[in-house]
Amino acid sequence: MSEVQRKKYSDQEKNRIFDEEFMPHIDSMYNFGYRLTFDEDDAKDLVQDTYLKAYRFINSFEQGTNAKAWLFRILKNSFINDYRKKSKQPAKVDYQEVETYYNSDDVDYGITSDLRVDSLKDMLGDEISNALNSLAVDFRTVIILCDLEGFTYEEMAKILDIPIGTVRSRLHRARNLLKEKLRSYAQNMGYKTDEEE
Amino acid sequence: MENNLEGTGERKLQCDDVSKCFQLLESILDGNEGLDSQEVLKSKLAKCQPCFEHYHLEQAIKEVLRTKCTKHEVPSQLVENIRQKIEEIK
Repeated sequence: MSEVQRKKYSDQEKNRIFDEEFMPHIDSMYNFGYRLTFDEDDAKDLVQDTYLKAYRFINSFEQGTNAKAWLFRILKNSFINDYRKKSKQPAKVDYQEVETYYNSDDVDYGITSDLRVDSLKDMLGDEISNALNSLAVDFRTVIILCDLEGFTYEEMAKILDIPIGTVRSRLHRARNLLKEKLRSYAQNMGYKTDEEE
Repeated sequence: MENNLEGTGERKLQCDDVSKCFQLLESILDGNEGLDSQEVLKSKLAKCQPCFEHYHLEQAIKEVLRTKCTKHEVPSQLVENIRQKIEEIK
């Protein structure tokens, strides 16, 4: 929690902020937690911890700013600091390697040219979800924040504590990886991938 | 970034700076560019086939992610548990 404490809210103000500005986001928060952990209990713990921290540090929240982004930042930090440490599985992301490989222009165009818009539209929700879920967590996260939750790049930069330029490039790479997954699904399911219409 | 093919009605088949162009197109698609971005988009899509294909594919992926990804219902006890814990720390 790096924000400077601005003022102290009264108990009444705290309750109002909590009920009216924080709680309406519980659906998005739970889905974010679930998509990070793939486990109902872990997602519940993450969301509960996030809301408790949000209440405890409510004086750091400035009214009129984006409560959803503030909460997402707390959840993402809890995931990194608490959940990943507790988890017996080490982080699987060899991020540098993946990032370097996918920074290639050949990859950019090669993937674009053989996945069809039509076959995407035919895919089932589970296939789309599985493709997203198969991405390494750092790539999955930027797509969730941008495409599912509609955050701006500036908000994403604050949530993830990275520069906007890194948001752009990571998102671009994440999308290349996702396209590759979707193309594999399309091929396996017999959707057409050979030519653009 | 692009050869000037305006007015010929043809799109060039190779993009000269794929990474830069595609990131710009994605940023426009995500609503993160300024007011003049629609003009830039129109011009790029009219002139460059890879940009045209990339934009439409990304647009379709964004749409299926938004509409088709599985959503999980919040467990019924969660809100109550949170409120209970908050009462305890008050």
